[in-house]
Amino acid sequence: MATLNAAFSIATGALEAAQSAINVIANNVSNANTPGYTTELPQWQENDTISIGGVSYGQGSTMTGASSQRDLVLEQRIQQQTQLQQDTNARYTALDQMQNIFSASTSTSTSSPSLDIGQSITGFFSSLSQLQASPSDSSLRQSVLTAAQTLVNAFHSASSQLSSQQNSLDQQVGTIVSQVNALTQSIAQLNQQIAQVSPNGDAGQLEDQRQYDIQQLSQWIGIHQINTEDNGLTITTSSGAPLVVKGQAFSLRTGLSGGTTHIYDAEGNDLTSELAGMGGQLGGVLTVRDQDIPQMQSALDTLAYNLGSALNSANQAGTDANGNAGGDLFTLPSSTAGAASQIAVAITSGSQIAAAATGNGSSDSTNLVSMLQIQNQSIVGGTTATSYYASFVSSLGSLVSEVSTENAAQQASLTQLTTQRDSLSAVNQNDQAALLENLQQTYQAAAKVFTILDAVMASALNLGVETTVA
Amino acid sequence: MRFDPLYLNHAIAALDQTSALQQQLTNELSSGKRVNVPGDDPVAVGQNVLLSAQLQMNDSFSQTESSLVGRMQVTDSTLGSVVSQLTQAVSLATQGNNGTLNASDLKSIANELAGIRDEIVSLANTTYMGTYLFSGSQGNTAPFSLDTSVSPNTVSYNGDSVISYVVTPDGQQIQVNLPGNTIFNDSANDVLGILNNLIAEFSSGSSSAASQADATALGNALNYVSQQRVVLDNSITRLQAAQSYTQTQAAQMTAVQTDLMQTDMAQVSTQLSTAETQQSALIQVVNLLEKNNGDLFSLL
Repeated sequence: MATLNAAFSIATGALEAAQSAINVIANNVSNANTPGYTTELPQWQENDTISIGGVSYGQGSTMTGASSQRDLVLEQRIQQQTQLQQDTNARYTALDQMQNIFSASTSTSTSSPSLDIGQSITGFFSSLSQLQASPSDSSLRQSVLTAAQTLVNAFHSASSQLSSQQNSLDQQVGTIVSQVNALTQSIAQLNQQIAQVSPNGDAGQLEDQRQYDIQQLSQWIGIHQINTEDNGLTITTSSGAPLVVKGQAFSLRTGLSGGTTHIYDAEGNDLTSELAGMGGQLGGVLTVRDQDIPQMQSALDTLAYNLGSALNSANQAGTDANGNAGGDLFTLPSSTAGAASQIAVAITSGSQIAAAATGNGSSDSTNLVSMLQIQNQSIVGGTTATSYYASFVSSLGSLVSEVSTENAAQQASLTQLTTQRDSLSAVNQNDQAALLENLQQTYQAAAKVFTILDAVMASALNLGVETTVA
Repeated sequence: MRFDPLYLNHAIAALDQTSALQQQLTNELSSGKRVNVPGDDPVAVGQNVLLSAQLQMNDSFSQTESSLVGRMQVTDSTLGSVVSQLTQAVSLATQGNNGTLNASDLKSIANELAGIRDEIVSLANTTYMGTYLFSGSQGNTAPFSLDTSVSPNTVSYNGDSVISYVVTPDGQQIQVNLPGNTIFNDSANDVLGILNNLIAEFSSGSSSAASQADATALGNALNYVSQQRVVLDNSITRLQAAQSYTQTQAAQMTAVQTDLMQTDMAQVSTQLSTAETQQSALIQVVNLLEKNNGDLFSLL
């Protein structure tokens, strides 16, 4: 037969359980804005019944703890999507800055002089065209020399801006790698703690921290995750180099190679090329640094080299104002590499422009006519210099807008996934308020049970005399 | 049903987006430019580079054309003076050959012809902005020099026979000069040589078969110079035609460029007004959400 004491114990247990559950709610409410926190639900369990004289009696309930509302698959989808989104975002940010270097190509005014390559190519040809009016005029010749200098400056300016962009991206690589290393250290430690505390189940707030760290890591670098025994996680780069194995972190190292920062794994393998475009800001930064900028530099080099060479040979075919055979107009490196940054004006005076055909006097414009024809000749990449520059700017623009579209789509998908996650895991104040109300009632009911039991017990002790024991 | 408790943040993010859109549209309206960086419209930017280049070349051709036409008009009026001098010389030569003049009359005709010759030589040595007009490519060299120490006097040509051309933006090559040796001492119609011969013949005090032949030749040479002048006039006409074609083309290209790169004010204004409506609706929503803060805690 059940005893009054047993009922006391059940009521006490209910009060304790309700208190612990209220604790969980208080913790949820206080962590509502903590990044990475997942809401927790109190877990209730019915105590084992006991059988007395063939009758089973319930023994109340216990609060067995809090369980985090977490969907690991969803977390992992968000992490993967973050890696993609951060990759294109970093690439877009860098490309957006680069397209500003060439924003003068959107100018519709021909009168405002700028260091735009397209405009200075035309500016050079147009100064040659004006020299036709009076080939021996030294002020017109001087303006050709000035236009040549502007052309050279335009190439230098674009090329050096691209280089400095490349340098600043290079510096970012080092910063990103140190962030990655800090995070993998932290994840390795969490792996150790989780293996000890909770090898078989969700590790609650430790898991919150681990997921949050992985989420942070996903912003920097593309990764793969593999679940291991004792609730551990092995993390590798998307190309398979280990970053975290159980309780151990493998730091990435950086080193200079060929003028740029390269990334090496713990065994010294160069990961640089396999990390480009493979997720995280690092993926985007490396893509721009090692692919996009070199491509643009090389296009500008080709343009500078071919245009310079064509004008050089045209000038060599003529006679200058002093009756001497024409020489080079531009100094160029021996091959296209670096031409945009190294091209220089070779002549020191306007009189060295070979406007006249060989043997003709200084008023002749025959050679000038052949120089002018270069603007309509397919001298670079199967097209004219201006068309080449036009398609260069156009393809840069297409690249920017393509990456921007890609990024917007990834961002939309990420937002959707985050909404899904938050609807499951974020602290919902309404839920908490309702639960709290519920628990308050539970607590009050258990307390009431306690009071009544107290009265019943008093009745039992005093055998019906109410006033003796209160 | 589960929902995202952080939905207010999404409303704020949407608010940020419409604000950014408004900023961009306002920027387009105030600058009048639809495309500010290549990524805004890559195709339009590529075309703009080509159009700007073409427009700039047209623009500089206009300048080249006006200074060339200026020079060629000076050349033309110089040749006009040469023609009128020659007309006078032809009538003097005819007068000298009519057989009624005495030796002293013939000598004075010879003197007059020498004056005309000197005038023609000086016209042939005309400069324009420091450059000799009739010396071919040797613009710094006076094309003709007269030697009076021999009889008949001789004129020598110090220029060359290089013809200069100008290329128009649509690729035409137009002749812009006349070398002196094709006008004043052409092998078939040697104006100055014939004049020198006539001067020498009339100075001797009598007309002859040679002076009669030379008078006829001078008449032919006059026609020849006029023909050469027509070549130059044709060039001027062609240059002016090319100029006006270039300007028409430039006007069309500017129109295309404006279409391509400039803001469509009506369209952008409409977009801006839509964005504004959206913005104020969103602000209303955020305002409501914040005010009511539909949270059960407020009711506990």
